[in-house]
Amino acid sequence: MSDYIIEMKNITKRFPGIVANDDVSIRIKKGEIFALLGENGAGKSTLMSILGGMYEPDEGEVYIRGEKVQISSPTHAAKLNIGMVHQHFKLVSDYTITENIILGVEPIKKFAGLFPYVDIRNANRKIEELSKNFGLEVDPTKKISDLTVSMQQRVEILKVLYREAEILIFDEPTAVLTPQETDFLLGIIDGLRNGGKTIILITHKLDEIKKIADRCAVLNKGKLVEVLDVKETSTKKMAQLMVGREVNLESDKAPAVFKEEVLKVEHLTVKNEDGFEVVKDVSFTIKSGEIFAIAGVADNGQVEIADAIAGLTKVSGGRIFLNGMDITNESIRKRTEYGISYIPEDRQSFGLVLDFDISTNLALKQYYREPFARKGILNKEEFEQVGTKLIDKYDIRSGQGIKTQVRSMSGGNQQKTIIAREIELQSPLMIFVQPTRGVDIGAIENIHKMMIQERDQGKAILLVSLELEEIMNVADTIGVIYNGQLQKIASSESLTTNEVGEYMMGAKHEQR
Amino acid sequence: MSKDNRKHNLRKNFIRPISNEKWQPITIPLVSIFISFIAAAIVILIIGKNPFQAFYNLLQGAGIMPKPSYAGYKGMLTDFLSLLNAMTPLVFASLAVAVALKAGLFNIGVSGQMLVSGFLATIIVGYSGLDAIIAKPLVLVIGIAAGGLMGGLVGWLKYKFNINEVVSTIMLNYIAQYVISFFIQMYYIDPISRQSKYIEEAARLTLVNVEIANLKMDIPLGFILAIFTAIFLKFVMDKTVVGFEIKAVGKNRNAAKYAGIHVGRNTVLAMMISGGLAGLAGVTYYLGYFSSIQPKVLSSIGFDSIAVSLLGNSHPIGVIFSSFLVSIIDQGSTYMSSQAGIRQEISSVIIGLILLFSACGEYLKQKVSRLKEKDLDQKKGES
Repeated sequence: MSDYIIEMKNITKRFPGIVANDDVSIRIKKGEIFALLGENGAGKSTLMSILGGMYEPDEGEVYIRGEKVQISSPTHAAKLNIGMVHQHFKLVSDYTITENIILGVEPIKKFAGLFPYVDIRNANRKIEELSKNFGLEVDPTKKISDLTVSMQQRVEILKVLYREAEILIFDEPTAVLTPQETDFLLGIIDGLRNGGKTIILITHKLDEIKKIADRCAVLNKGKLVEVLDVKETSTKKMAQLMVGREVNLESDKAPAVFKEEVLKVEHLTVKNEDGFEVVKDVSFTIKSGEIFAIAGVADNGQVEIADAIAGLTKVSGGRIFLNGMDITNESIRKRTEYGISYIPEDRQSFGLVLDFDISTNLALKQYYREPFARKGILNKEEFEQVGTKLIDKYDIRSGQGIKTQVRSMSGGNQQKTIIAREIELQSPLMIFVQPTRGVDIGAIENIHKMMIQERDQGKAILLVSLELEEIMNVADTIGVIYNGQLQKIASSESLTTNEVGEYMMGAKHEQR
Repeated sequence: MSKDNRKHNLRKNFIRPISNEKWQPITIPLVSIFISFIAAAIVILIIGKNPFQAFYNLLQGAGIMPKPSYAGYKGMLTDFLSLLNAMTPLVFASLAVAVALKAGLFNIGVSGQMLVSGFLATIIVGYSGLDAIIAKPLVLVIGIAAGGLMGGLVGWLKYKFNINEVVSTIMLNYIAQYVISFFIQMYYIDPISRQSKYIEEAARLTLVNVEIANLKMDIPLGFILAIFTAIFLKFVMDKTVVGFEIKAVGKNRNAAKYAGIHVGRNTVLAMMISGGLAGLAGVTYYLGYFSSIQPKVLSSIGFDSIAVSLLGNSHPIGVIFSSFLVSIIDQGSTYMSSQAGIRQEISSVIIGLILLFSACGEYLKQKVSRLKEKDLDQKKGES
């Protein structure tokens, strides 16, 4: 009985129009890493929010250490030694690490027995100790604004450890991390488990679960599908249970048929705002019917290449040709018209106007020309007709049809909206930057399928991705970038994952 | 149980009128106004007067309700027309703020833009001796051009040098205020009134003391233009490519740029339209409602218009109604103070309260949606 530190029995939670958790029961042992697997909207986060005191269940009971509890608030959860490491960090960027961690639980001392003050020195020492114990490698006196994303995440972990959490919930912790950082984090989580903590990991990345989790509960559409022993289950089986159908992780594609050259980039150099060269003398070509992928660790210049081709960033050297025409100095609009579709990395602040509805966002690149507008006057009916057609064709799900504000939609459906719009432009060149980031596995499969379909129809495709697996899967040609320079361009068959990895780290050099 | 229930029902009845999201743009300002009048009534009660009497006096003074007696050549219609006369510049100014807000810009420089266009129209047309048929349209054109150029300058500074429009408009306000006051005092001063010399009737946008049916009335020609302008703006914002681009830039500059919209050009354009409207406010104020310019003073209309625009949800038609309301209180206050013995300043308190509560509209909206969620939860729990 007391084997289980957490027991959630028959939990049901309803929201208007949706049952987020439907009679879910899970039991978690002390000292294990328990993974919660499911697609976006499967109810993982809701279930954990109940544990974290953000929601109260409509039905069902929660037992912590064998005692029945009603967790009424996050503060209450903290009292029960439950701590949550959120996907979006909640840190004050002008404060030091220590100041952020002790915020709300400041250790107060009295000077001369009278004047209260915050005992920062002691807190610093305590945090340094915690950091050392769990291998977090954090200097508590640094300011948050000077930290990398992965460092900030470690601060969040320290925050819950400082509050003496025994049960740590991680909400999609690796979504924002590079492969190296991910490995480091998984190491930390493993260390926490060995230190006697109980870990709950919310994720939809199967390989991570395989790597560190002991057991794994699969949720689908609010229902518990199965609780698995990770060691004895294949990744493929997990994916199947999660999506509820057979999943093809390896996309099968016909051999590529390259035709005429569509994009030619010659000696491209791009400087960032500080005048620092982030793209250095990059040259490559993409042919019709080819998926050219740029592999690399984050922030090595790959996004700038995409931005430069689409016209969002100024080029400081080199030329860009589209179908033989020099477009180096053309406006963004002209490039779109000449035939560039662009799915940007940051869909919320670049790809969409979140306060506009779906139909408007679907027309965002064509609103000014026929049939959407005539002589400067918009044709609202056309917006609606096209919108209705596209949400059907691309299976974009939303609460109120074409009138839904994009802000209220899930990340996967926002991405579908952008992809639908860009494919419909029928451009000979399509640029995809991190198209599958933060979308669930079913949607990933779908996006890959669409990319290959477009390729087969004779589009030239530039893919920028941080997911090596994705690149190995989809690309026909791979260019590996390191520190703003293309290290290697070769067909995907001629490269192994390991080789690409080595080029990505700048370990291998090729003289060009 | 029953107490809880009653409390719950009370809450439900309270939110019902504003719970329909489709009507919220209208219902929420109405509720805000209602609450502010209750607050104003309390203030009036505290100083020992009858609030209903006071509100009725306000309406009488504004020409909405008849007064018990009128002076010679005066009537309810006279009062109503002077209400419209005073309201005209406020409508233009609020439209100016609203257009800038749509583009995500904050035009605090309406007062300065009003002053510059009013001054230029005054010295170019006001003393020129031109016929009314030429003079009046010319005044409008100069108003739009001067205001538009000044607004465009602000937009250009923002686009070219990334100078925040709030800073540049405030600075331009000061420059306009003192430079123009210098010119008025050096060249155009009327030694008796200590203001600029009165302009000729031909150039004035309000027809003064027109005698119709034994009443002497001020007819504000600009008012009709203001209504048409509001309708036209609504059309531009909702139905045209220009409006679409301005709104896209206002909602998300990055995405607008990504979609191929020229962000800089639209910033300048939106500020030019905003400035042009402020210019119209300026000429209808200095060459309509008044016929001279007081040196060293910026009109408060430019600042009131920010709040009026917010109260009207930055919607061109909404702005007409919010200007109407604020003008009624403003215009009726003189009569209220003489009849009810309430100081005129109280009307400023009421306007202040309305604007204060209208600023809380967003809070009300959130509160309502949260209560609705709770309600749904409860209903589910019961069933």
